[in-house]
Amino acid sequence: MTQKAFVCALCLAILNLSSPSVAQAGLVGTLQAVESHTRAQDLATVNAALARDEVRAKFIELGVNPTTVDARVAALTDSELRTLADRMDAMPAGGDFLAIVGLVFVVLMILEFVGVIDIFKKFP
Amino acid sequence: MKSWTHATLCVAAFALAGCASQTRVPSAPGLGGLPTRVELSGTPFFPQEDHECGPAALATVLGAAGVDATPADLADAIYLPGRQGTLQPELAAAARAHGRLAYELPSSVDAVRAELAAGRPVLVLQKLGAGPWPGWHYAVVFGYDRDKDEILLRSGTQPREVESTRLFDTTWARAGRWAIVVLRPGDLPATPDLERYMSAAASLEAVGRPEDARTAYLSAARHWPEAALPHLGLANLAAARNDWPAAEQGFREAARLEPGNVSALNNHAEALLHMGCPESARREIERAREAAGTGPLAGTVAATRAGIVAAMGEDGPGCPSGR
Repeated sequence: MTQKAFVCALCLAILNLSSPSVAQAGLVGTLQAVESHTRAQDLATVNAALARDEVRAKFIELGVNPTTVDARVAALTDSELRTLADRMDAMPAGGDFLAIVGLVFVVLMILEFVGVIDIFKKFP
Repeated sequence: MKSWTHATLCVAAFALAGCASQTRVPSAPGLGGLPTRVELSGTPFFPQEDHECGPAALATVLGAAGVDATPADLADAIYLPGRQGTLQPELAAAARAHGRLAYELPSSVDAVRAELAAGRPVLVLQKLGAGPWPGWHYAVVFGYDRDKDEILLRSGTQPREVESTRLFDTTWARAGRWAIVVLRPGDLPATPDLERYMSAAASLEAVGRPEDARTAYLSAARHWPEAALPHLGLANLAAARNDWPAAEQGFREAARLEPGNVSALNNHAEALLHMGCPESARREIERAREAAGTGPLAGTVAATRAGIVAAMGEDGPGCPSGR
């Protein structure tokens, strides 16, 4: 009976989403406590260790230097890793500036012309 | 009758004039009014190169928070060549790596202005393009003017980009109105929210910066004296140092401040076990189990409970008196 309970607890512990390298066994980590305070953790999303591996692989695919990728992944929290593992491809990557400056002006001019915006009233 | 009409019109005109302009006396933030205009001209400026607005923007706000880092230093940590840009979580991660708290602001221009009035520039994401060229772009807001209805940004290669508030808000709204300020661990944002602050502070702990987290938790405990979370954080740090008496005390305080808090109850039980108080631990973990119900922490509580139940026996001397 005790053994069954122990195995059961072990299974539950493995499913526990907190990072083993940070939270002590038996303790709810502070970040985990905050997140459970604000919203129910999504138990359906992948376990943190798997998320870490997935993000690491994706980073390498996206050209991150293999010597720095571990540090980059280690700098992210479990929930950030889960978010990135879930939807990195759909997330905005800020940086596309020089290529679109001209396009922005054209877009704004069109919107101004069709009356959607009127930010150019100060322009002669 | 004429004088009444006249008086009413005067009052109406005065009221409308009040709406049209900033009538509040410039005052310090937190005293109920923001200055009419703010320009943080001391904000650093790093002209962007290629697609590296992320490193440039981050270097700017880190510089304003006392960290000397160039965009080149930061690019290795945040630039993704395959996406030709930087992801938002990595900006926060890099700020943390430099011992700073990345605090996500409420989604309003007023919240941005409040930070500026408190002397802090704000890193924002904007969507400048459309369709196949979304034009995701990071910039740093370093000023505003209520009279002219303008927002000032360090943006790309422009040290002083002036945008109408409306244009700024439109491009910012299209990017989800995401904005962060970078804080020294002891500092609080202009519009502090307990859970957002604790999330940012706990992230410092989670990535192995316990001293920075401790400073932040102490600030939180001072600012929100009735909140359990700061005490929970401090107690977790104590536990990590194997200072179980301090941890037990902190968890006990957290549970006192917020009786239904599953994390506080769970961790208190664990600390009691480490203190040689298995009887008290058993009592406390039952409370935790009840409070956890079928919620997200039920699994963690069950695991903790298994360890406590396995350790049989009574409380030793020096255990906190039972409740």
